[in-house]
Amino acid sequence: MWTGTRAIAEAVKLADVDVIAAYPIRPYTGVMNSLAKMLADGEFAAEIIGADSEHSQFEIVKHASAVGARTFVGSSGVGLAYAAEPIIVTSLGQLPVVAMAGCRALDDPGNFGMEWNDVLAFRDHGWLMSWARDPQEALDMILVAYRVSEDSRVLLPSFVAVDGAAITHISAPVEPPSKDGVAKFLPPYKPPYPLDPAYGPVTKAQHIAPSLIGPELRKVVENSMAKASEVIREAWKAYAGFVGREYPPFIESKYVEDAEVVLVTMGAYSKDAMHVAEKLREQGIKVGVIRIRYFRPFPDKELAEALKKAKVVGVVDFSYSFGSAGSSSVLFNEVRSALYESGSRPLFMDFMFVGGREPSVEHFERAIMLLQEAAERGAVEKHVWWLTLRGEDL
Amino acid sequence: MSERPLIRSIRDVPSVDLYTSGHRTCAGCGAALGYRLLLKAAGPSTVVLGPTGCMYVANGHQFLSSPYSVPWYHTQLGAGGAAGVGTAAAFRVLMMKGKRRKEDVNVVVYGGDGGTGDIGLSGLSMAMGYDYKRFLYVLYDNESYANTGIQASSTTPWGASTTFTPVGKIKRIGNARMKKNVALIIAAHPGVRYVATATLHPLLDFINKAKKALEADGPAFIHLLVPCPKGWFTDPKYTVDLSKSALETGLWVSWEYENGEFSLSYRPEPRKHVKEYLRMQKRFEHLTDDKIEEIERMTIKEWSYWKEMDKQKKIILPWVAPPWPAS
Repeated sequence: MWTGTRAIAEAVKLADVDVIAAYPIRPYTGVMNSLAKMLADGEFAAEIIGADSEHSQFEIVKHASAVGARTFVGSSGVGLAYAAEPIIVTSLGQLPVVAMAGCRALDDPGNFGMEWNDVLAFRDHGWLMSWARDPQEALDMILVAYRVSEDSRVLLPSFVAVDGAAITHISAPVEPPSKDGVAKFLPPYKPPYPLDPAYGPVTKAQHIAPSLIGPELRKVVENSMAKASEVIREAWKAYAGFVGREYPPFIESKYVEDAEVVLVTMGAYSKDAMHVAEKLREQGIKVGVIRIRYFRPFPDKELAEALKKAKVVGVVDFSYSFGSAGSSSVLFNEVRSALYESGSRPLFMDFMFVGGREPSVEHFERAIMLLQEAAERGAVEKHVWWLTLRGEDL
Repeated sequence: MSERPLIRSIRDVPSVDLYTSGHRTCAGCGAALGYRLLLKAAGPSTVVLGPTGCMYVANGHQFLSSPYSVPWYHTQLGAGGAAGVGTAAAFRVLMMKGKRRKEDVNVVVYGGDGGTGDIGLSGLSMAMGYDYKRFLYVLYDNESYANTGIQASSTTPWGASTTFTPVGKIKRIGNARMKKNVALIIAAHPGVRYVATATLHPLLDFINKAKKALEADGPAFIHLLVPCPKGWFTDPKYTVDLSKSALETGLWVSWEYENGEFSLSYRPEPRKHVKEYLRMQKRFEHLTDDKIEEIERMTIKEWSYWKEMDKQKKIILPWVAPPWPAS
């Protein structure tokens, strides 16, 4: 039985990571505590650096990666916000850093609740982003993240997002793959142009007139992101081949084939959504659940295909985007946008679980009932629901 | 300590330049000359990290050219320390794990005064606490945010006119903050093995200090004063003369701190009046003679500390009453 942070630490050890940069913030910190102890006990060899800030943390791994080291870093909440500058330039440097994000609500009120906005703040900046559902998948996603990020067709950094508390601090059975298997799955990283005098005088990230290279630099990242989809597919297939655990690469669907109403979500709470769907199926409600595994690259085609029979789609969302289209949230807008050109455009509802207050089974039941009512009526009267809000939703 | 001998004569300075053509720094740029001397000292087995600043913005841009004949990577404005640590950590662990052949690689950060003394101070402080060998951070101090248009930094001297501290109808002083002594802050780090200050004169002084710093067996720091024609409003031909004058008037103090021992590298005896240096620069032209005398008095007071430090071979913080309120 391992917590999510411990499972990720085991993955980092298995991946034989070279440089780790740490700075404390809950709920991700446990991973660094575990790694520091493993290194103190000589379980594997790496440099672990206690940085002075998250900004330095992400700079350290960016530069270690440029030399050719395999790197690991992570943070949560406002820590990620503090590291925004290096996070953004890491992808433009084409550096395959792997970071754990222990999703946490941003300040204020400085709570330890779970929200996705800390990671989603970087959705536009060239990082691959995956969301795990439990400690086992967190471990698996870290190993696959190294394989995908370091692939010469991709060379982009990866965030592996795990929901704070719900995964970071909850123990679950985890089966690690064999060391030999991982060594074959993840050969040592060989950067194409290492920042090393033994290779030659590479000049990297110079100040260049935008008219000379600006659009091309952005296009490299976009093209890499486009190629990542195929590499992700290959990597999960190869991973299943030696661990004997299979994952659908982009979306996990439950009861979706004949579902009239579908909940779409990511992360740990997808288990609750699936559990509730199972119960309501017994009562004859045709509900399905889709769990998105990768937010970047976003699986728009897979999603459109899976939802082509759905009448009403409800997004279970732990993010917000104040004043956005429909006054809704980040995942919702992404899902709705992905289905705009789909032949069978369904009705949409957004269930926002924001501010860190944890939803319960009743909230998911209520959400499904609201979808069901809309399906029967053939129209949505109220699009956005704050089901955990106390008092009147003005 | 020093395995490679220091350079005794200008004829022994390596003729090969690793910081070469392909940049577009201003005529008479002190920071560019400092880069050239630094890389002569460091040699080809070196990686250089360049935080945002003049030496980022002016060292590329047109024709996709690069002046660096060693690996060079930009790092963000406040990230010089962290970039150095990440780079050094990677080399050490890759060599230790047998993923790269073992050899000495210098990791050098060349950061400006804003990037080092202001926004990057926290990361620099972290870097000076780690035991990486052959790790040198050089602060090139042109005493302002020069490439963004001469805004005052915390190392801009008292009285200087900058775009953030302009002289106006009611404000007659310019910069009212005292210049921060970054090297003394760094000397307070227990892990640091070598701290020095230098300027572009005498030429061999900085080259040899850089060589000693890289052989110091741990993190090292040099605070290098580099005259800046653009920000100081001086003729490009006087850059090295300004370095010399800064030393001779006692407004720049050249020293070393090694194994817990302090020593002056240069004693201005007899010291020239500060007006010789200040009156060469238009950034001080608004200062009246009595303000110049105030700077002279502060300099005399400060030098009583530097001489005492040299005598005791220990650092004592030189305390000079700030000329506040600025009138």
